[in-house]
Amino acid sequence: MRLFDRAFTGSDEMFALAEAAVTKTIDKLGADAPVAFGSTAYFLPCIYAYTGRKITKLSELKDVLEPVKGWLTRNYRLNDVFTSGIATVLAAEIIEACKYAENPTPYEEKYHGHMTDAEVRELGVPLVTQDIPGFVVIIDEAPTDAQAQVLIKGYQSRGIFVFLLKGAIDQAERCGIKMGFPVRIVPVGPGIEAVSHIISVVVRAAFIFGNVQPGDWEGFNKYSFERIFAFVNAFGPLENITVGCGAGAIAMGFPVITNDTVDVDVVPKSLIIQTNIDDLIETSLEARDIKIKVSNIDLPVACASAFEGEIIRKADMFCEADGSRKDCFELVRTKELHEVEDHKIELIGQDFDAMEVGCKINLAIIIDIAGKNMQSDFEPVFERKIHNYVNCLEGVMHTGQRDLIRIRVSKSSFEAGFRVKHFGELLYAKMKNDFSQVVDKCQVTLVTEPELVTKLRKEANEIYDKRDARLRSLTDESVECFYTCTLCQSFSPSHVCIVTPERLGLCGAVSWLDAKSTNELQPSGPCQVVTKTKVIDEAKGAYEDVNEAVSTYSHGALDKVTLYSIMEDPMTSCGCFECICGIEPMSNGVIIVNREYAGSTPLGMTFAELASMTGGGVQTPGFMGHGRHFIASKKFMKAEGGIARIVWMPKALKDSVAERLNISAKELYGIDNFTDRIADESISEDPDTLMAYLSEKGHPALEMEPMM
Amino acid sequence: MPFTAKPRTFNAAINETVLGTGAKAVTLGGQNVLPLYFFDNTPKNAPAVGIEITDTGYDATGLPALAAFYDGAATPAERAKKAASAEGVSFVCLRFEGADPGGLNKSIADCVAVAKDVLNAIDVPLVVAGCKNIEKDAELFSAVAEVCQGKNVLFLSAREEDYKTVGASVGLAYGQKVGAESAVDINLAKQLNVVMTQLGVSAQSIVMNLGAAAAGYGFEYVASTLDRVKAAALEQNDTMLQMPVMTPVSVETWSVKEAIMAEADMPEWGSQEERGIRMETVTASACLASGAESVILRHPASVKTIAAMIAALL
Repeated sequence: MRLFDRAFTGSDEMFALAEAAVTKTIDKLGADAPVAFGSTAYFLPCIYAYTGRKITKLSELKDVLEPVKGWLTRNYRLNDVFTSGIATVLAAEIIEACKYAENPTPYEEKYHGHMTDAEVRELGVPLVTQDIPGFVVIIDEAPTDAQAQVLIKGYQSRGIFVFLLKGAIDQAERCGIKMGFPVRIVPVGPGIEAVSHIISVVVRAAFIFGNVQPGDWEGFNKYSFERIFAFVNAFGPLENITVGCGAGAIAMGFPVITNDTVDVDVVPKSLIIQTNIDDLIETSLEARDIKIKVSNIDLPVACASAFEGEIIRKADMFCEADGSRKDCFELVRTKELHEVEDHKIELIGQDFDAMEVGCKINLAIIIDIAGKNMQSDFEPVFERKIHNYVNCLEGVMHTGQRDLIRIRVSKSSFEAGFRVKHFGELLYAKMKNDFSQVVDKCQVTLVTEPELVTKLRKEANEIYDKRDARLRSLTDESVECFYTCTLCQSFSPSHVCIVTPERLGLCGAVSWLDAKSTNELQPSGPCQVVTKTKVIDEAKGAYEDVNEAVSTYSHGALDKVTLYSIMEDPMTSCGCFECICGIEPMSNGVIIVNREYAGSTPLGMTFAELASMTGGGVQTPGFMGHGRHFIASKKFMKAEGGIARIVWMPKALKDSVAERLNISAKELYGIDNFTDRIADESISEDPDTLMAYLSEKGHPALEMEPMM
Repeated sequence: MPFTAKPRTFNAAINETVLGTGAKAVTLGGQNVLPLYFFDNTPKNAPAVGIEITDTGYDATGLPALAAFYDGAATPAERAKKAASAEGVSFVCLRFEGADPGGLNKSIADCVAVAKDVLNAIDVPLVVAGCKNIEKDAELFSAVAEVCQGKNVLFLSAREEDYKTVGASVGLAYGQKVGAESAVDINLAKQLNVVMTQLGVSAQSIVMNLGAAAAGYGFEYVASTLDRVKAAALEQNDTMLQMPVMTPVSVETWSVKEAIMAEADMPEWGSQEERGIRMETVTASACLASGAESVILRHPASVKTIAAMIAALL
């Protein structure tokens, strides 16, 4: 029999049972006898939800049979299976309602049956907040009692709420599993029709928490699909009537995972076969996109931001991984879902126990991340967080990044039981919790085996090189959108940064990739997408979309900015700029001064004095705050002729940007060693000596069009 | 040339949110003019003044008028009754100071009993404020919201850390009003409103608590944030910032030195109680002028003064 036929047959069976139950109950009690589950304001909840009918007596229950029958359509389209599935659930509720009409407590003590509105609220709040990540309905018996025990305990330990039906209840009882609402394992009923009590919880959650209106068929299915993270584990051999109910579950967005392979066709994300019971939990969670938060990190030492600045002196040090002496590195890699085993922490090589006090060790920390929303662009962003996380460990110090890390572990932490795997436990938990939107699975590999680390470091270097190449190839033209950054608005209310690949945030801390991942992780946060489709002037970097974004996110304070001009609507500054660039009228150029430089400039002003006229979210043509990294960009005041305008920088700043700036100048103007023509404080601090130096060196700014 | 006033009304308006039920229910918001610009358009609802009591009672040392006002009121319910009768009061705010796990750590059951008694003792709307402990407040709010179903009680507040729990229980499961508390920052305020509405809490059930400061203690931040929130709500029709604002003034002003320094220690400053009242009224009037739709005050004299100020401006 085909799957469709099994579902249809099952639906028909349930409907026939419902019809018979109604007839029998009316014969016994009369058509006017009341029918109710008690302690609910939603009548017979499934029927009320899907038909809008408020059923209070048996005659009304009889009347509802007709519309339910009407949904048992048989056109062999997917939609027929779904409507039949829902109808099956409604028929099941009819059967249950008849039981409650005859006896307000039809179930013996070990079964729970109907759940009250209070219980729905009690379960609903943590479901909405995802403190309970989801619930599973287990139907029938697992192949062995031991498997059932592992399965139920496995769900329980992950915080998943468990409903049991039919044989699954007897099996749990045999295993000695404690059941009941408080322990989040509820034995609902011995027959498949009791499934309606579970769907009743779902539709009441939609009523209460989603404000879905009675009769809104689509609304209920949409709510359950989007907000209720439920799924079914049905053990074979499946009865047709169970398949019929399963169709209802699937219609509501709840995947069914079974070990039955006979006449079961796999439907991706909806009907899944998993014959290996050990993998059932993982398959199920993945099918319903359920992510489990890590609440307890298994660590022998404290982990808090209070320890972030802790320094481990050599005398207190147990061992050290120093990337400048021995091969060490840390790396985040993106993997496919099937390549990652969640929460696998592997140590290759010796643990601390086998090492001597004060030794220098090789250490590789490799974090593999898989997730449907994971992008390789996030790797460096996550990788940079390793520093913060590891530093928060008590008695552990971390500096540097990539293959230039230095990690020290103190003697006291070693004595407290800190071992290499604990890096893995910490990083696993942090990645899963802090980046739960994109990290579905995470595994950590720690390597201390020297030869292997050396080999892996070479591979890691190739990855770092690729990343750098990707960063270099990222230009404003090559991407489809920019991002806002409004992090600073708490103290600079009208300032908005527009972050582009070639122009990072003026604080220097928010690159385009950072903004992109912030947007992904915090969709309503400070970094919002800015499209760039409506070009006004490409050379100046003027876009209608950018202007609209600036107007919106400055709350009307600004209505336009250009990205690449310092004279016309320059981008505003909050106050945390790394550098200030200001026009130097005599030379037709600009000077750049960085925050660290305390002296005066040829403009006769210090950084602090310039800052007072540049910050606060106001546009001051001729002055602009920006990040250090922007200086070598080909977009740097491109509208006014670009980096050829730079005539003066403090020496320290000049040295730090020289390499990249010289490359850009060579590519843009064919000038070699451009920074040699730029003056610094050792050459001049006033306009006259500056001009003399520029003339002597033949600085290109002298030949350029006046800026004003 | 005669002066012709040009009223400036906006096409957008602040949301109307109803607290309480029956004849004494209070509607916050509704106006389409700048704060207190009642000469531009009569507001649909006047700003509301609330009076704050705590479950534990105040230490009224050095505050004879406050002590006299609550004289003879031994229980929170009795204090609530007196508070509700003070001149100018629109609602009562019950602050559960005693619930704090770092303090008296009263049980949820005790707090629920207090809330029930207070609710029964007053006919004006009730606002419930927590003890600022995230875990305890979430549990407390949920339990109190359950017993107050149908009474339109406002809970202060849901924060970034617990908005899901508080929003889901207070706002969705029990249909009460939810305060959205953020730290004096327009973007954080908006973000919280966005995620709360995404959770399913209706915009009409949210009241913003943007944070406060006593006048002279960084109040510029409060004023500028309130200003910008109102500008965004009215000029830019930003629906995620159109929720009415309630500012708990008293907790800020009654903890600064002007209000707590005893007269004996600082005789040249004059009466301690007078100072406290002035601090409270000055801050409250500034909050209302900047954009708060309601303020919570402690001293009945402050309540009376601020209510009179509002009435005079209407």
